[in-house]
Amino acid sequence: MRQTFHIDFIKKSKIFFGVSLGIMLVCLILNIFAFPTLVDIQFTGGTIIKYSYSGNLKNADLEKTVNDTIASRDAIKNDKVSFAYSDNLAKSDKDNNSKIVSLQFTGNKAVSVEDKTAITDALEKAYPDSTFREASSSSADASKGTNFFFKCLAAIILAAVLMIVYVALRFRKIGGLSAGIMAVVALIHDLIIVYFVFVIFRMPLNDNFIAVVLMILGYSLNDTIVIYDRIREIRRKSGPKTPVGEIVNSSLNQCLVRTICTSITTILAIGSVLVVSLMFNIDSIVSFALPMMLGLISGSYSSLCIAAPLWVIWKNHSAKKKAEKKNSENAKTAAKKSKKANKTEA
Amino acid sequence: MKRIGKPVFFIVFVIILALAYTSVFGIYGENGDFKVTYIKGINDIRWGIDINGGVEAVFAPDGKDATDDEMESVKAILELRLVAQNVTDYEIYPDYTNDRITVRFPWKSDEENYDPDTAISELSATAKLTFRGGSTESGEVIIEGKDVKRAYSNYQSSSNGTYQHVVVLELNDEGATKFADGTRTYLNQQIGIWMDDDLISAPTVNQVISNGTATISGSFDAAGAAKLANTINAGALPFGLKIESYSTISPSLGNSALTAMGYAAITALILIFLFMLCMYRLPGFIAFIALLGQMAISIMAISGYFPVFPSFTMTIPGIAGMILSIGMGVDANIITAERIKDELWSGKTLDGCIRNGTKGSFSAIFDGNITVIIVAVILILVFGPANIFSQIFGVSTTGLIYAFGYTLLVGVIANFIMGVGASRLMLKSISGYKFLRNKRLYGGKKSS
Repeated sequence: MRQTFHIDFIKKSKIFFGVSLGIMLVCLILNIFAFPTLVDIQFTGGTIIKYSYSGNLKNADLEKTVNDTIASRDAIKNDKVSFAYSDNLAKSDKDNNSKIVSLQFTGNKAVSVEDKTAITDALEKAYPDSTFREASSSSADASKGTNFFFKCLAAIILAAVLMIVYVALRFRKIGGLSAGIMAVVALIHDLIIVYFVFVIFRMPLNDNFIAVVLMILGYSLNDTIVIYDRIREIRRKSGPKTPVGEIVNSSLNQCLVRTICTSITTILAIGSVLVVSLMFNIDSIVSFALPMMLGLISGSYSSLCIAAPLWVIWKNHSAKKKAEKKNSENAKTAAKKSKKANKTEA
Repeated sequence: MKRIGKPVFFIVFVIILALAYTSVFGIYGENGDFKVTYIKGINDIRWGIDINGGVEAVFAPDGKDATDDEMESVKAILELRLVAQNVTDYEIYPDYTNDRITVRFPWKSDEENYDPDTAISELSATAKLTFRGGSTESGEVIIEGKDVKRAYSNYQSSSNGTYQHVVVLELNDEGATKFADGTRTYLNQQIGIWMDDDLISAPTVNQVISNGTATISGSFDAAGAAKLANTINAGALPFGLKIESYSTISPSLGNSALTAMGYAAITALILIFLFMLCMYRLPGFIAFIALLGQMAISIMAISGYFPVFPSFTMTIPGIAGMILSIGMGVDANIITAERIKDELWSGKTLDGCIRNGTKGSFSAIFDGNITVIIVAVILILVFGPANIFSQIFGVSTTGLIYAFGYTLLVGVIANFIMGVGASRLMLKSISGYKFLRNKRLYGGKKSS
């Protein structure tokens, strides 16, 4: 035999469930008490403006200039701005702007172009040597954001339903619907993990979140399907009498190397993206690659350690129920018979 | 087993190398001083505004429910102004359900101090339509936008009996009086129709028009007439435009992201090559060749390599999707190689193992990829410019995710061609060489 290892996934399933639930619980507590969920302005509405500039400006001075300008504008005078500073790693040849300041407006409305121009002008006027340039800006309207959010939700639900239907049809022979539902339980597991990655790393939920969630749905289900495929094959060979737990265990062990190897190559790919975008300080890609990478790990893990063992428990449970039903029916008929017998005796 | 000839490997290999080379570098020729593009390479890819820098703005009628016709007019005026600003490669998406129009155009990087704010503000300015005597801007103003009831294009017979496309102009009472005076003054002269500072038409007055309905004829085609009617209506719109949201990205920020993605792609390719070679030896090497082919197909699908497929606007999430599909692409090879290993360890002949391994792994690869296709298609359908949810949520304004779905889909399809098809051809063919028949090269145990 080529395989030198044999892990009893089914026996250890309680540990796996415990680990997953434990991680989720810790994250949930952190989420509630330490790291509130951040939501991107794409969904809530709001405005972020980023400027690149050069020279050694005192942050306090810069903030005062911006706040003074805001106070003088009617439409935004009640808004507060939070400031964030970073190094500009995307220097152009034209200027020597080595720093970036990011202005995020509280309040969920889009700051008008006129107000934005006023802030830009004020900064340019106050610090002519610092060559302030607008690096990027984005604003979104609150109503549009809600609309976009529901659209994303609809996309996820649609994807999940289509996948259950597909699994149910393709794996009819091994009880497709239960297999599909267990696969979806694993998907929900991954979805929760991806959500907590966003929360713990202080990344606002945005359209990247939706893309990652959908991608992980596909990837995790891909893993699960490869395992189901193996289960179907082994069952065909060994006959329906073999205990479900045994079949699933050997399927999982046979698929283990493949699942790990595919995870490694995928993680190598997305990991390259993550490392490079961290080096270049490209936030938009980091908030895509990091949750994607952790989600991939979660996806492989949930296929092996959550979906398959859960399915075994389900199968055993329904088999037991069937057996009990049969038994109780048998008992009833036996009781009836004995009653009859008693009557005749009397 | 039906043998696959030994040269097949080299034929497939050369084809893949040729595809990879041409898809990256393109094929260009010279015709005198002109550069002629025969095949488009990476440099011909149309990059999205998140890479090249650019502006996206969403406009909405200010405090009014606009009709579909009014939205058409808004679109016409925005197009006119974009062209007036010298922006030609714009994208414009009207959303009739929610009364919004999204405009997207690149940042003009050749301008030293390009000011995207001014560009957006100018687009949203209230349209100023005037009819002026003569054909110069200094001409006397005869009527303005508020005097126009509506304009529409029509196909009707002219005085000499032939049918032609015309624009019919209907004025309100005040406008009719003014226009009657104006046409009397400028009889047999030109009257200029001005939108902001642009002369959009200068018809000659043939008769005095006193009933408030004028017909503008000329050498219009159907589209030209409709466009002029839309533009006139835009000037008569009873509402202004407000900027609902905007986003701007400077070119330098986007360009460095592109460089970063380039590094990431090369790093990923090298790491995966090393991993596959160590793990699976010969099949690993073949997997890598197939991966190059897969990349080539993905690039072709976005660069417009084949003229039948239009080139695609590529965004950073799109590139990330491509790199991700590199990692997932070798999955088909991994599943197959693992199968072959299993078979080898049970002591069968090499050919039998390869045959059983490729056959036994297909259903897993197929089912697994279908789920990724489902995801990719949903991303395309939901986040595309016109999408399946348009009726409920309106057309999409966030196009970045769309590119991710597209490259993912292309990646999976390319994977079926290369990772499944070409790899198997190569593997079966190369295993015909005697010196490559050592089972260890395929992950088997030491051959005795």
